[in-house]
Amino acid sequence: MQNRFLPYLLTLPSLFLAAVVIFWPVWDLVQISTHEVSRFGQLREFNDFANFAALAADPDFMAALWRTGQWTVLVVGGALLLSIPVAMILNTDFYGRGVARVIIMLPWAVSLTMTAVVWRWALSGESGMLNSALIGLGLIDHNIQWLASAETAFPMQVLIGILVTVPFTTTIFLGGLSSIPDDLYEAAALEGATSLQQFREITFPLLKPFINIAIVLNTIYVFNSFPIIWVMTQGGPANSTDILVTHLYKLAFRIGKLGEASAVSLVMFAILLVFTMIYVRLAMREQRG
Amino acid sequence: MSLAKWTVGLMAGMSMLAFAAQANAGEVRVTVAEYSAKTGPYFDSVKKEFEAANPGITVKFEVVPWDVLLQKLTTDITAGTNADLSIIGTRWLIDFVQQDVAEPLDSYIKPDFKGRFIDTFLSPSIMDGKTYGLPIAASARALYYNRELFEKAGIANPPATWTELQEDARKIKALGSGTFGFGLQGKEIETDVYYYYAMWSQGTEILNKDGTSGLGTPGALEAAKLYKSMIDEGLTEPGVTSNNREDVQNLFKQGKVGMMITAPFLSNQIKDEAPKLKYGVAAIPAGPTGARGTYGVTDSIIMFKNSKNKDEAWKLLNFLFTTEQRAKFTQGEGFLPVNKEEAKMDYYVNNADLAAFTALLPDARFAPIIPGWEEVAQITSDAMQKIYLGSAEPEAALKDAAAKANAVLKK
Repeated sequence: MQNRFLPYLLTLPSLFLAAVVIFWPVWDLVQISTHEVSRFGQLREFNDFANFAALAADPDFMAALWRTGQWTVLVVGGALLLSIPVAMILNTDFYGRGVARVIIMLPWAVSLTMTAVVWRWALSGESGMLNSALIGLGLIDHNIQWLASAETAFPMQVLIGILVTVPFTTTIFLGGLSSIPDDLYEAAALEGATSLQQFREITFPLLKPFINIAIVLNTIYVFNSFPIIWVMTQGGPANSTDILVTHLYKLAFRIGKLGEASAVSLVMFAILLVFTMIYVRLAMREQRG
Repeated sequence: MSLAKWTVGLMAGMSMLAFAAQANAGEVRVTVAEYSAKTGPYFDSVKKEFEAANPGITVKFEVVPWDVLLQKLTTDITAGTNADLSIIGTRWLIDFVQQDVAEPLDSYIKPDFKGRFIDTFLSPSIMDGKTYGLPIAASARALYYNRELFEKAGIANPPATWTELQEDARKIKALGSGTFGFGLQGKEIETDVYYYYAMWSQGTEILNKDGTSGLGTPGALEAAKLYKSMIDEGLTEPGVTSNNREDVQNLFKQGKVGMMITAPFLSNQIKDEAPKLKYGVAAIPAGPTGARGTYGVTDSIIMFKNSKNKDEAWKLLNFLFTTEQRAKFTQGEGFLPVNKEEAKMDYYVNNADLAAFTALLPDARFAPIIPGWEEVAQITSDAMQKIYLGSAEPEAALKDAAAKANAVLKK
């Protein structure tokens, strides 16, 4: 009898902590988003989900929702595609591997906001490094105004997003790769498998759990990522690079609509929760099968 | 245990935490905006001088970057952990008054104290006959022009009208070599204000007399078309929507831009960063009827209603608004004097740049005191960006923006 309850008893303290740091804010958000709320967060009466209705009717919110999808898929996908070969190269033994690993990891050590600030300068139209480099190389003959419109700004933001996501993803994959025993490759080589076959039959399947965890963690992280877009364009011009989190920030702290902002926040929470649950389910079923 | 009880319990826990963060007796906490690198050191010296003169009172300044000030205040007030005094943008004041977090200062203000201020700058902080804030920083906008580029292009005087400004910009553009006639801001804070300069010169106001948005009027359309035509003609810097105020100021400091409209603090920056730049300051160009307008801005320092140390806080305010302290702060930051005695000092009287600004004060418009102003400003900025980018026709964009703004104004 005692044994059955002991595990629950032991998890109780952490459950309590989780309740304070997770459930309490979420409960608060639910409260704020379903009530009239003043500029400074004082709750008024219940308002029949008017905040959610306002969101559904707001084209800027719908555009930001769609763009958040693009942003997350492109950054997470791009980082994944780039990190697998990078991790495989870094996993082989070559001269200067230590230095190469440090260089790949460096972007991780710099604060995201600072990275974004530096890129904002680099992408400046008249005095930016990128334009002068491209002109110096003879690739363009006049300055490109990178951040002036979404057509150029958003792809650059995605690229920077990928750049800063690669170190973490590579680290996960390096861990995965080092767990694959070398004799598998030796045996495969003896049987005459090409390196492509080795990748498809050995590396990729054994790396899959690590890819799954990288997808889940990166999706959560990138979906909520604020600094890159905020520092470079503040979601502009004319909200054309807004993702949900920058839209939320403007709603809450520029315009003072705390109710709608909380509603956005809950929508984001729900999307991530559903995504994570479905994905983890699928991934697990696959592994069992 | 019911959910409500849980909520109450947690609230009690939270408020105990909040209580722990609250000030000790005799401590005055002040949230101040960081205007420049000089702000922090100035308030450090205030702390030293004030505490030496007032034993028993300690002062704690929290210097916050301007961009996050409203966010910090919102979260602090929501949590009940706000300071005793805070600098705020005067345009936010109506929210603070409506939500009943700002303390009226009338019981503290003696006639001689009130007499220290220039009325133009004190009046925006007065609402329903009560003074809720004191103007700690004041600023207006004027036209900066690069004398060297003007000379090279053979232009004798700064432009008096927008038509002249366009001609001058053409001449400066013709100089080639990466110079641009008119610096146009198209990003971030005050993008809407940069458009109002042209709009006011058409005789259009932000709000029509009936309280609706002025964006739907013919004057507003003329102004938007003027800027758009200048962009299309290449009279502005390229990539307008990627340049915020600082970016355009930097282009001006580098001598790349012939003219731009901005605040007096650019003079201080030029003195420090580009002392060789030859420039002048002139009035904002007028429209066809001679109408013109500049943007007047004040920041106010307010006292919070829930402050426990109001008398001590008032002592500090009294100290901050002595002529000597005002002069030190205003001159360091490059603002306009708000204090009558201060304005008579040689520093201001003999300063040609500042004279141009003060001459414009009769034409100054302050941000309208309406709830939801920030949202209207955001709507206007978004519309301007669409027009500048060419992703919407001026007429359609303004009509849409006017409708949105009117919806906000009706609330």
